[in-house]
Amino acid sequence: MIWEELNPALVFTDVDVSSSDDVMNQIGGALIREGYTKESYIQALIERENEFPTGLDVDGYGVAIPHTNVAHVNKAGTAIAVLRNPVTFHVMGGDDDETVKVSLVFMLAVVDPDKHIEELQQILAIIQDTAVLEKLKHATSAEEIITTIAEKEKAS
Amino acid sequence: MKKKVIVACGGAVATSTIAANKVVELCKKNGIDVTICQVRISEIPSNLPADLIVPTSRVKRDFGVPVITGMPFISGVGVEKTEAAILKVLKDD
Repeated sequence: MIWEELNPALVFTDVDVSSSDDVMNQIGGALIREGYTKESYIQALIERENEFPTGLDVDGYGVAIPHTNVAHVNKAGTAIAVLRNPVTFHVMGGDDDETVKVSLVFMLAVVDPDKHIEELQQILAIIQDTAVLEKLKHATSAEEIITTIAEKEKAS
Repeated sequence: MKKKVIVACGGAVATSTIAANKVVELCKKNGIDVTICQVRISEIPSNLPADLIVPTSRVKRDFGVPVITGMPFISGVGVEKTEAAILKVLKDD
């Protein structure tokens, strides 16, 4: 389950950012600091996001799941960020002008998508539950985020 | 007849794997014999022909093959509608 794997050093609330690039720098920077990803990760995230955006509109909740090529990753991990103010992301699979205001970011360090497919599905199960998103959006500590996800996972 | 579905995303990293699994499950449930070809968007042309393309990124080009976005498998919004659309394409002819 995801909550067991979450590193509190990668879970953030009240993150003050002004753009999606800012998100990549701050949260991607944390993944680099914690040894999950390489120095090239942030630039790779930004480039990939420009070409293949990852914003999702989940019934009115803006969520983004930035990720990039395995070449920039050392070990699998997930960073979670609740943003103080929503920032604009382009919509995954959407038109060029389709955007969504994102307040929750799940940044993925993906190593082997085949091996981590279960993990990815678990993350999507969290993202697809708007009751959980509502709680996460208002979480004020990393602990609260992890507890919310644990409760969700234990219940399903 | 065996059907071929191309599932494509930007980096063939994460989202297309999810969509591919969903398409396999869906076809199994409905007795459709299917081959899944999981590629990057840029690799679609070299993997044609196919019966259907399910991208989790934007596909601007017309490949002469039905395209049904796999995004609902990621966001969870509109899954049933997407599944119905996929079945309609794969069950025809």
